[in-house]
Amino acid sequence: MKATIEVSGLRKRYGPTVAVDDLSFTVAPGRVTGFVGPNGAGKSTTMRMILGLDRPDAGTALIGGRPYRRLRSPLREVGAMLDAGAVHPGRRARAHLRWMAHSNALPVRRVDEVLDIVGLSGAVAGRPAGGYSLGMRQRLGIAAALLGDPPVLMFDEPVNGLDPEGITWIRGLLRSLAAEGRAVLVSSHLMSELEGSADHLVVVGRGRVIADRGVRELLSAASGDRVLVRTGHRQEAMTVLARAGAVVATTGCDALTVSGVPAERIVALLTGDGVPFSGITEHRATLEEAFMELTRDAVDYRSSRTEAGEGA
Amino acid sequence: MTTATTAPPPYRSTVPESRRAGFGGLLRAEWTKLWSVRRWTLALPTAILLTIVVALLSAAGGSAVKAGGGGGGGGGGGGKRPPGTVHPFNDGGGFVHQPLAGDGTVTARVTAQRASHPEAKAGLMIRRDGRRGAPYAVIAVTPGRGVRLRSGVGTDLGGGSGPVPRWLRLTRSGTSVTGYASSDGAAWRRVGTVEVAGLSGAAQAGPYVGSPSAIKVERRFGGESTSEVPTEGSATFDRVDVAPAGGARPAPWVRRDRETGADAPLDPADSPRAGAPFTLAGSGDVGPDEFARDITETALAGVLIGLMAVVALAVLSVTSEYRRGMIRTTFAATPARGRVLAAKALVLGAAAFAAGLAAAAGALLISFPVMRGKGLAPPPVTEWPVLRAVLGTALLLALIAVLSVGVAVILRHAAASITVLLLVLLVPQIVATGLPLSAATWLERLSPAAGFAMQQTVPRYDTALGPWAGLGVLAAYTAAVLAAALWLLRRRDA
Amino acid sequence: MRHVLHGEWTKLRTLPSTGWLLLALAVSTVLVGAATTGAVDTSHCPAPAGCLEDTTRLSLTGVRLGQAAAVVFAVLAIGGEYGTGMIQITLAAVPHRPRVLLAKAAVVAAGVLAAGTLGVLGSLAAGRALLPGNGFTAANGYPPPSLADGPTLRAAAGTVLYLVLVALLALGVGAVLRDTAASVTVVLTLLYVFPVITRFVTDPDWHERLDRIAPMTAGLAIQTTIRGAGPPIGPWTGLGVLAAYAAAALLAGGCVLAARDAN
Repeated sequence: MKATIEVSGLRKRYGPTVAVDDLSFTVAPGRVTGFVGPNGAGKSTTMRMILGLDRPDAGTALIGGRPYRRLRSPLREVGAMLDAGAVHPGRRARAHLRWMAHSNALPVRRVDEVLDIVGLSGAVAGRPAGGYSLGMRQRLGIAAALLGDPPVLMFDEPVNGLDPEGITWIRGLLRSLAAEGRAVLVSSHLMSELEGSADHLVVVGRGRVIADRGVRELLSAASGDRVLVRTGHRQEAMTVLARAGAVVATTGCDALTVSGVPAERIVALLTGDGVPFSGITEHRATLEEAFMELTRDAVDYRSSRTEAGEGA
Repeated sequence: MTTATTAPPPYRSTVPESRRAGFGGLLRAEWTKLWSVRRWTLALPTAILLTIVVALLSAAGGSAVKAGGGGGGGGGGGGKRPPGTVHPFNDGGGFVHQPLAGDGTVTARVTAQRASHPEAKAGLMIRRDGRRGAPYAVIAVTPGRGVRLRSGVGTDLGGGSGPVPRWLRLTRSGTSVTGYASSDGAAWRRVGTVEVAGLSGAAQAGPYVGSPSAIKVERRFGGESTSEVPTEGSATFDRVDVAPAGGARPAPWVRRDRETGADAPLDPADSPRAGAPFTLAGSGDVGPDEFARDITETALAGVLIGLMAVVALAVLSVTSEYRRGMIRTTFAATPARGRVLAAKALVLGAAAFAAGLAAAAGALLISFPVMRGKGLAPPPVTEWPVLRAVLGTALLLALIAVLSVGVAVILRHAAASITVLLLVLLVPQIVATGLPLSAATWLERLSPAAGFAMQQTVPRYDTALGPWAGLGVLAAYTAAVLAAALWLLRRRDA
Repeated sequence: MRHVLHGEWTKLRTLPSTGWLLLALAVSTVLVGAATTGAVDTSHCPAPAGCLEDTTRLSLTGVRLGQAAAVVFAVLAIGGEYGTGMIQITLAAVPHRPRVLLAKAAVVAAGVLAAGTLGVLGSLAAGRALLPGNGFTAANGYPPPSLADGPTLRAAAGTVLYLVLVALLALGVGAVLRDTAASVTVVLTLLYVFPVITRFVTDPDWHERLDRIAPMTAGLAIQTTIRGAGPPIGPWTGLGVLAAYAAAALLAGGCVLAARDAN
């Protein structure tokens, strides 16, 4: 079986609301694919349809070429964490994983193995899940996803509620899972959460794919080759650079944003004309900026004040 | 689309694919879910305990003297049963007899009968001896129901109607007794043959007159009370003839005392003589006592409390999954939703069955000795109807657990499901007691509460339907609900 | 206190289940009452006058079912808040906790009072329509139930009160157990299992004793309009028994609410 998730033409509506509208993308093995979009963009709905939980109105979602409902031992092929709170509060972590193992005839020793992996082993696993912190529940959810050691993994907002140490841990985990050749799909409504862990991004808004490309491409597109120049002589610098064909804008009282001319040429131009400057930085867009750029039109719930501000 | 620069080989799960993820695994999964929540593991033992406590309390609150019911047995017999049987039994009436050593025939003509009761009996009886509840066969004319041939507690054959005078005959051959009726003593019509178990060796045969008590039953919300007024029947016979095959010498007539079962010699002047009319009076009836309380059913009443725990547990096992979104984990692990439903229903049904068995057996074993101590005569627990009631209680709880699972899947809300279930299971029983018998009978037949018929051990005047039929009604409801649940489960998004 | 009341009223009013449950309370009371009344006629009695049927009580049979809606309604009013964690917001807004329970009791009682009145009046109307057709005519000694008649008025008003008290009992239990499913189970068990089990108690003394302490049997004594027809307890004493249950439950609920952490 090829470790992939292939979604094509997926469509789902709830009453008058179109949650997912003709969505197509592929999650390839060996890398972490980020699944990003604002709240209500249809990420969770899509994941539920991939897992055969919700019935799509149109389109297909295939795991390694087969629909989820046809998998013989689903936990061995796909691991998913949809909602970390989906544990009975009176049930112990170990028992929760144990029933899952039984349902797919997985060896029970896996329960302790995955508890070890997520750092919940020992006395913690013997406590009722109702007393867990959000971060512990998140780890239990990840343990459940890893139970069948599957080649395809899906995590819905796994970073939610984790402390900084937990976030670092989960980023490392995601990378190592992908490095083993698994297909990993991670959803988030915050692009920044995926910075440093995702290789590829599927950006959705209002149920549609807005972008489906590598993280590096996306960043450079969003950065637009801009260079930040710090100088006390703004006027002279602007004249020099404009003459060379660059587009220049002032960003502060002693900074300029320059685009259309590479950084080395800017250094050469300024030095040649003897304009002093204190620093030159290539502007790297953050994922957040790239995301805002992409989803500008696709945000469903935006506060009216922001909207008015942008209009002005 | 960019591919990763160094594509690693496709990953394969290191977890061995064991056997096949079969149904057994699903059962184990559902079982694990059940025992791993502490509050739930307490539910069933609590249910068992409560059932037994209620049985004990109700046994301690009962008393032989005041026990309602009592039947046509007249005086002596209300609610008592012969040793070794379950059925409350009447064994009254007037009986004069001669010994019948082996096979033989008794014949008589009933020339007149007082219509003391529609079921008053005037006819002939063959019984093994005078003891209460001894094996017997009776053929008699009744004012209301024509000629009847009766034996044991269940056998009651009709032999056509017709006015007195009427000829009747009983012929014994081993343990089988055949009854005949005739209007002229020449053309005999066979009414039927009954097997009278235990009718071996010497027996007694002769005229019999009985008349059941007039029973008044008052039903109102929450209970019923029965009161009885004895009636006395009387009939005139002639041509009474006991013909022992083998022609033994005529023996003197003897009258059975219905209180003690002892025999008292009859004055030859008052005895039946060939050709002369002979009048016999008798009060009480022979056969099942349909107004006596069903002691076993009473002792099992506490199951209603246990039922609450079963309903709550079965409902919560479903709705808690919906409430927490765990249902998605369940269906992601097992996309075949019908199998999940089947496994859940089976596990809860089995748990409820085991709890029901323990509760019912415990309730009887503990409360029966208490009742005996108070002078009541509970039936032996080894009799099939009692065993059937114990088994039936277990089946009843199992079906209710499955029904609860189905309702909970449909409604997905704990409070709503529990309310609906308790209403359909309990309210019919409460409302029925306030309705006249005809309406109550239909309510008890058509509602899911019909399943409680499974706890009956003896037929009563208000028995709406047989034990298995009652369970069948509940099973039909359960099947329908389960089918609807399955349909919804497949159709709905998880 | 007025603001607390207003807040609770708004909360209850905006709960989608409220309308449905109160509707169910009224409708099921009328329908079951009508169905039962329609099923009883004089044919099973030796003479129509000898039936000794309490026609008012018969017409009001439906509350035996309708009260279940009142129970769920009251339990959801508090259990629903614990289920969603909203109780924390409620108690943060009104730190005086017994006041919250009192306010809840007031709005729950008001809702049940309104729906119960509708149900009872509807049942009596159905009774008036159906009874004569079944032989319960004035000529046979069964005047149609009328509120102008003292005992009937007492039965009708008392039945509405009964429903209110049942709801308050449920609210109290809900405050103690803080779990919807458990509270509904306990209250319905208390109401329904008593009368069913009492059927099996053979000793008449025990039977009477149980009838006098069972909240439903004793409480519904208020419906008796014919001497000797009802449970072995006076109408108002019977309702008093139920009121005692409700008061005890509310008191316990208030204590639990005040003493425990809100979660």
